[in-house]
Amino acid sequence: MNREQKIIAFCCNWCSYAAADLAGISRLQYPASIRIIRVMCSGMVHPEMVMHALAQGAAGVMIIGCHLGECHYIKGNEMALARAEVITDTLEDLGYASEQFQLTWVSSAEPERLVEAFRNMCGRLAVLQSEQSADHIM
Amino acid sequence: MKPKLNFEWLHACSGCEISMLNWGEQLLDLFDQVEIVHFPLLMDHKYGGQLGEGAPLSLPEADIGLVSGGVAHQEHLQVLQEMRKQCRTLIALGTCATHGGIPAMRNQWSTADTLHTVFTAGTVDKEISPSSAPAFLDRVYSIDEKVRVDVSLPGCPPQPQLIGAVIKALVNKDAFQLPQKSVCETCPTIREGKKKMAPVQRFLHNADYDRDQPVSEMQCLLEQGLVCMGPVTAGGCGGKDTPLCLQARVPCRGCYGPVQPGGNQLLDMMNALASNGIDHRALVDRKSLLRFSGAHGLLKPARKKN
Repeated sequence: MNREQKIIAFCCNWCSYAAADLAGISRLQYPASIRIIRVMCSGMVHPEMVMHALAQGAAGVMIIGCHLGECHYIKGNEMALARAEVITDTLEDLGYASEQFQLTWVSSAEPERLVEAFRNMCGRLAVLQSEQSADHIM
Repeated sequence: MKPKLNFEWLHACSGCEISMLNWGEQLLDLFDQVEIVHFPLLMDHKYGGQLGEGAPLSLPEADIGLVSGGVAHQEHLQVLQEMRKQCRTLIALGTCATHGGIPAMRNQWSTADTLHTVFTAGTVDKEISPSSAPAFLDRVYSIDEKVRVDVSLPGCPPQPQLIGAVIKALVNKDAFQLPQKSVCETCPTIREGKKKMAPVQRFLHNADYDRDQPVSEMQCLLEQGLVCMGPVTAGGCGGKDTPLCLQARVPCRGCYGPVQPGGNQLLDMMNALASNGIDHRALVDRKSLLRFSGAHGLLKPARKKN
């Protein structure tokens, strides 16, 4: 694992942040490169915030919200889903890799699922990084 | 003593200078108020003095400096740094100076690729450019990426009234406020709300309007399905009137750059479409939404795929 690497995870207050809390209480281990930012709803994460994190040097950004249909604000995560498509498409346009972004749904009772998502993201970024350094040498 | 004025151009097309000259008779009042000491478009004033007695690329001292155009090669950079040194107040004039403008569209490719495409494709010349030409930078920069800028005045070109108002305010030491609202805020077209949005399409046919009626009787162009960049573009192009492109019944092209200084017109426009339930993938050639604001590292060469 790259210790310098940072992954910003926007977690919604009602589901995924509660899941992260539960993961902590349950002593589940997840990579130390994750930095959680609590937001009230995944739907409030504007694409500019994701782009800002990447521009400031984050290796990856995750948005984690409630399962579809279970949003505390009825339709916030549907907004997040629409925005996630935009982010994935635009990342390639702006010179980033679309793998650097991930949208995941986690309920407050699923800390294992959250930790799994964190681990997957870290693994994916490690692969991406090794590909990029291989390109660099060539 | 009248304040002195330098007006230098870098990677620019002279449109900003011509816009200022378009001010009409009020321009003569301006000439009474300031003394122009360096203005390559209007007067013969050479770098390093008329007889070449000064240092190369040296410029006279001035109270107000206007710079149009972005920074693309070493000579631009040296001239810009000299302008910053000699001018008490530096104004970035036009979208090229503030956000990169049209020349920054080349930031989609590497400098080597651009030079190859422009200078060697279709010729038998071996050498890309003469060795005496200034070295290109790795991309096109806006001037605020290279030096401190006191006033940013976007527009392609900026309205003459706005340029004049800013210079007059500086001469009289008055406070002034640049427009900070989007194009939509000054647009009088009829908006019916989110449910009326049509899918976006290319601007291959005219907007639907009655030519005998004013613009305020026309339906919002975005709601008609034309990609109008009004929501993500700084306003001010029409002064207090209707924005200029809308006066001509065509969608906004985004020439004043993003509404907020750090904004990203591509991302904001896509977000605006997606949040209103419009399929953003119907928009071909998305990258061209950054056609006026590709500096600040926003436009980058595409990542090489394995």
